[in-house]
Amino acid sequence: MHMKHINILTFLLLCCALAACRRDEKLDDVNDIPGLGGDTWAPGPIDIWIKDSLTTPLNVAVKYKWDQGELDYTHTLVPPKEEKIIPVLSTIRRAWLKPYEAEAGELFVKRYVPKFFVLVGSASYNTDGTITLGTAEGGRKIVLYVLNDFRTKSMAGYVPTDSFGVKQMFHTIEHEFGHILHQNAMYPDEYKRISVGMYTSNWNNVSDADARADGFVTAYAMSAPDEDFVEMIAMMLVEGKQGFDNLVNSITQPGPGGTTPGQAKARLRQKEAIVVKYFAEAWKINFYSLQTRTRTAIDALTR
Amino acid sequence: MKRIITYLLPALLAFSSCRKDNNDSVFPGTTDERINKTLSEYQTALEGAQFGWNARLTTAAGSIYNFHFSFNNANRVLMFGDIDTLTASERKESSYRLKALQQPALIFDTYSYLHILADPDGSVNGGTPGEGLNSDFEFSLDSLAADSIKLTGRFKGSKLVLKRSTQQDLQTWQNGQWKNVLLFEDLSARILNYFKRLHYGATQYEIQVNKTERTVTFTWRDGAGTAHQHTTGYVVNNTGIQLTNPLVNGASTINSFSNFSWNAGASAFTMNVNGATPSTIAGAIAPVVLDVQAPSRWWNFVAQQDSYWATLNGFHVNGVDDAFKLHDISNFMFLVFWPRFGDAGGGLIYDLAGWVYNSGGTASIEFGAAFEPPTFTNGKVIFSWLGTLGDVPPEAEDPYVNTAIQWSDPLGYYLVQTSPTTYDMVSARDAKAWITWEY
Repeated sequence: MHMKHINILTFLLLCCALAACRRDEKLDDVNDIPGLGGDTWAPGPIDIWIKDSLTTPLNVAVKYKWDQGELDYTHTLVPPKEEKIIPVLSTIRRAWLKPYEAEAGELFVKRYVPKFFVLVGSASYNTDGTITLGTAEGGRKIVLYVLNDFRTKSMAGYVPTDSFGVKQMFHTIEHEFGHILHQNAMYPDEYKRISVGMYTSNWNNVSDADARADGFVTAYAMSAPDEDFVEMIAMMLVEGKQGFDNLVNSITQPGPGGTTPGQAKARLRQKEAIVVKYFAEAWKINFYSLQTRTRTAIDALTR
Repeated sequence: MKRIITYLLPALLAFSSCRKDNNDSVFPGTTDERINKTLSEYQTALEGAQFGWNARLTTAAGSIYNFHFSFNNANRVLMFGDIDTLTASERKESSYRLKALQQPALIFDTYSYLHILADPDGSVNGGTPGEGLNSDFEFSLDSLAADSIKLTGRFKGSKLVLKRSTQQDLQTWQNGQWKNVLLFEDLSARILNYFKRLHYGATQYEIQVNKTERTVTFTWRDGAGTAHQHTTGYVVNNTGIQLTNPLVNGASTINSFSNFSWNAGASAFTMNVNGATPSTIAGAIAPVVLDVQAPSRWWNFVAQQDSYWATLNGFHVNGVDDAFKLHDISNFMFLVFWPRFGDAGGGLIYDLAGWVYNSGGTASIEFGAAFEPPTFTNGKVIFSWLGTLGDVPPEAEDPYVNTAIQWSDPLGYYLVQTSPTTYDMVSARDAKAWITWEY
């Protein structure tokens, strides 16, 4: 009994002790946390151009100054050269945003374009010897690499091989934008049935030529139906109608997956038809007209 | 006893948990106040240096580079660097900012001369693809003293030390002193011979400058005729080149080179060794120490494994890379030398200089020049023309013929081994034509 009293007393004391310690904790002065609200710097001509051309009209932000936090910590990268930034962004506006705006209207562009671009000067070198030219995350952020080598034909020192970099950049952008579109309005299920059973995680060991012989537009398209769908969009827009037709017609050998050239061509044409129909029905966009505008704009940059 | 403990414990708890002073930091002010104070101290220091800052960067690989930075109050920095004659003479503007990362950090946040060293593109700086020269452009600020700032690269761990510049320091960049010193790294642009010799005292030292790694290699024979080789790093400063490990040859020592000038009449660089003794570097047509076995070693290395040596650009002649314009040919990839390639009949096994094309995605030898088995004599290899294998397309006619003629020079070639799997094949006629072979 006595023991119990003590225990109760101890408990009460403890309660008091803890209660006595309530106090109004004052937080640190929150008015001046460095970097709160993002980095700031004295705006220069590039910042003003981005604000006037992309941020104000389209709500698109561009980060061109180095911020390791936006990038992969395991790769050696460098920021872009200042003289490359406006040329790259204005070609993006001309060959990607303008065609969509012309076909689908300003509201469409404002609503769906990825809102955040990160620019990197060098390529991202992978351990397998390949380099990454662009990545995208969550339909919102697109990272574009190799800006320091970006050259369109109107820029000094342009050689024809530079066109590869230009096309690759637009391929990345169109690919990622394709994802945003189908995440908002799903493409018809029948698309997934065209190449059913042939999707593989082993796509990176397949050449583009072999993938085409099996009815895929690129090797990466073999990775999943969603990727297949957006690779079709990207390839058709960047290569143009003629380029895509040439690509289909170049299939003459049977594929490693046992597809005959006839079947491969038919599958690519089926996929093309669904993409065109999807753009018309889900987005009221005439795909071939969009394709012509995009290809014309890219042609103007590369030859 | 037990009771005392029972009371004591809660009492202790009560007292210890009841400390009322709110400030749990041993430092004055809040964290944010202190970070802001530190950043603004650095900002004031950086922009406060009237003539900017002398910077010495030691890359994670150990090479040393010098820069000059002038920071303003609007996130802009003007820069010189001793990477090459352009960066040493043309001031370039780029962007910087101070940021509170895990430590206060100085970030050079758009491309500048500093980024050339960090660039993962090997064609920019001669470094390994994907790594560059192991340098940084984002630094944590380690310490601030009255006229110096110490920084450490946050990614690769290179070291940067800033020291307040004087007006004279800035002028050494502006008036071209640094650019002039960098002539040392550009010996090859003026001296067209493969071999370059430093004449100092009674000795001739063959000198090879590796500007990617900032090392220089000396090869010489001492008074008794014994061959020596010495490789050392070097540091550029505004008057000359300082060797990290001095060269010692008996009684004479070489520490530094300074006061460079190019004497066009004599086709030689004149300069002072150790700040005093006038000396010259001039071209030579033969090595100081001849590697007599090199040609046969080179030939046997691939012959024994039925393989080949490859060169991307073919001949370098009179200071011009790819002198015969191999890369103007569409689909041309590289040139190979394949010993014992085939049987010409009658037991004559010929060597082939094969032209490799990209044919539909695979590399294949489309045609080539066949040579008789080579002659190895006095440390040289001599090739004699046998015939053409395959059909040479009209587009490749000139490059092919010029290459074959140069190749069959009857005076032959020296072979200089530059690594376990690379050799330079240097014309013995004038040492102005050579091919770099890679395995």
